[in-house]
Amino acid sequence: MAAQHTAIPQIPKAKAPFYFNSATHLVRVEREQAHSLGELLDAMRGCSEASIFQHTYQTLAEHHFIRQGFSNDFAHWTFSACNEIGLAEQLAAIDVRNFTTIANLRTELVNMLGEYLDRVPRARDRAAAEPFYFCASELFLIPTPFAAADLAEFADCLRKVSVHSIQHHFIDARLRLRLSSNDFSQWLEVDADRADLAAKINRIDFYTQTLNGVRAKIVDIVESAL
Amino acid sequence: MSQPLAKSDTTLPQPANTQEGTFVERRKRPRIAIEPRNPPPPPSLKDYEGIVDSADLDEIRWIAHQLRGKSIKLINATALGGTIADTLNRIIPLLKELEIQAQWDVITGGNDFYYVNKAFLGALQGGAYQLTPEVLDVYVAYIEQNRQRLDFGADIVVAHDFQPVALVQSRTQHQKWLWRCHIDLSNPHPDVWGFFRPYIERYDAAIFSSAAFAKNLRIPQYLFYPSLDPLSEMNKPLDDEFVTRVCEDFGIDRKRPIVTQISRFERGKDPAGVVQAYKLAKKYVDCQLVLAGSGVNEDPESKLVLDQVFEEAGDDPDVIVLNLPPWSSLEMNALQQASDVIVQKSLQEGFGLTVTEALWKSKPVIGSAVGGIPAQIVHKITGMLVHSIEGCAYQIRYLLTHPDFAHQLGRNGHEHVKENLLITRSLKSWLVLCSSLLGRS
Repeated sequence: MAAQHTAIPQIPKAKAPFYFNSATHLVRVEREQAHSLGELLDAMRGCSEASIFQHTYQTLAEHHFIRQGFSNDFAHWTFSACNEIGLAEQLAAIDVRNFTTIANLRTELVNMLGEYLDRVPRARDRAAAEPFYFCASELFLIPTPFAAADLAEFADCLRKVSVHSIQHHFIDARLRLRLSSNDFSQWLEVDADRADLAAKINRIDFYTQTLNGVRAKIVDIVESAL
Repeated sequence: MSQPLAKSDTTLPQPANTQEGTFVERRKRPRIAIEPRNPPPPPSLKDYEGIVDSADLDEIRWIAHQLRGKSIKLINATALGGTIADTLNRIIPLLKELEIQAQWDVITGGNDFYYVNKAFLGALQGGAYQLTPEVLDVYVAYIEQNRQRLDFGADIVVAHDFQPVALVQSRTQHQKWLWRCHIDLSNPHPDVWGFFRPYIERYDAAIFSSAAFAKNLRIPQYLFYPSLDPLSEMNKPLDDEFVTRVCEDFGIDRKRPIVTQISRFERGKDPAGVVQAYKLAKKYVDCQLVLAGSGVNEDPESKLVLDQVFEEAGDDPDVIVLNLPPWSSLEMNALQQASDVIVQKSLQEGFGLTVTEALWKSKPVIGSAVGGIPAQIVHKITGMLVHSIEGCAYQIRYLLTHPDFAHQLGRNGHEHVKENLLITRSLKSWLVLCSSLLGRS
């Protein structure tokens, strides 16, 4: 009687590999400063997009180890230097995932701050405890040797890349793609035919966990499909 | 400083005791050598694996590859001692390992040059000063001497702090020159700043330790935080046995809470204010206060500050004041590691690297909201920011009685340093900036 062999399931290859990149940045000190919320509003209207990026997206990366919900520099300054708790709460609730361009994100910030100052005019010119210094990100792309042709390799690479690579593909990618998605989900849906995994990964909340926590969740989701 | 009270060991440094009979510095058997130890060999990039993700180190190697064969000249004013020399001593071997030709030169001059620069330092940090043509002549003459003596043939020249700034007159067309400012320039003396500014604007970029220190210049300005080396004697992990031994030597009881400030005895560090905060806190929580620093013997102002500290401390045996030699990094490290709470209650501060060191050791830190400290302490997340002696006292009480919260602060603080304030992050920033300036990115 011939022995029965259990066939090892083949992991399907993706249509195209996923190439992992990473990014690093320099922080440039800009000319704009704000000594009150009114000045913050004026500077926010005129500052570079790289400044808005620095104080929202990039600050998330710099504080990615915090689970308690560090959101953006504008909210933090409004709370700690201006003691406008309600406005700080509103600004902190701005979720970068809702925006696919910096221009739209800036509009939201400006509208929120402008409406608050219309409602609470006493807050406009009151001196802050310390100034807000506008900075800007200069981003630099770094290729990595990691590439994945299937889900198993994808999970393996995810474990090995730096958190900056996770930030680059999972958070910053929205601005590049101009989609409410990320590089990982795009690849899973388009090249690996796994729209189910793509959707699950896109729902991971990076505001309530560290980037390493995000990495672990993505790996769990991918490995559950192997 | 007066003579030591302990007499059993001839290798002892001179302990502090300016008011004999009213204050006793307790040391049983201090083992600090009277001369510096030979420094250990500098680490290689591979030695940081396990501290920093290896993928991060690979990214550094990739960026450095773009600069392979290029030359960088670093110039500062001191070969030994101080943060700049310490950092250059650690970073230059790493640059060389990455096949970048790094060279370090120190400008020289007579005592008059030293005193002029010391006065400029105070003036640039906001002190009163009368700038005279004679002073400028001294500076310009020594800069000319150094321009004749030094070779500036490198792809990139980095001048550290203001002393070598005017060397930029020697730049050639295809070079890039960077100015790294380590001091607080937020309120400089206008005449002194007016003298240096035209030189600074001949650089390709300026680098500051805090956005608050930057100036309105015609050149790009970057923010590079100072960094610590996790493998240095000041920051490497220590055996608990060694930590206990150091505490025993200094008469510190590890079974009771320890609150520590490690800083030079200067007014700006407000050690007397720390004693006041400790006394307020001690009404409700048991603790010891350790104030450790160095340099008292060289600086007359330190003696006055120390007198104030002793006056505040009275005859409290739980206030332990240690004037340690500059080469006692291991002992300072041990004191930080033994501490339950670390305080940096400065009235003015540069970046505050002692805060970084404390955060790296996962300690809950209470810091004044001055200088670069707010860049390191996100209030209630990576530490506690305070604005007064009373606030400091309250946070000491709170942290000593809420160990879980204190532990959480320490953990976040460690992660913050790991992500943003290690020497590897600094190395990466330098490589990216140089690469960008040379058009390699």
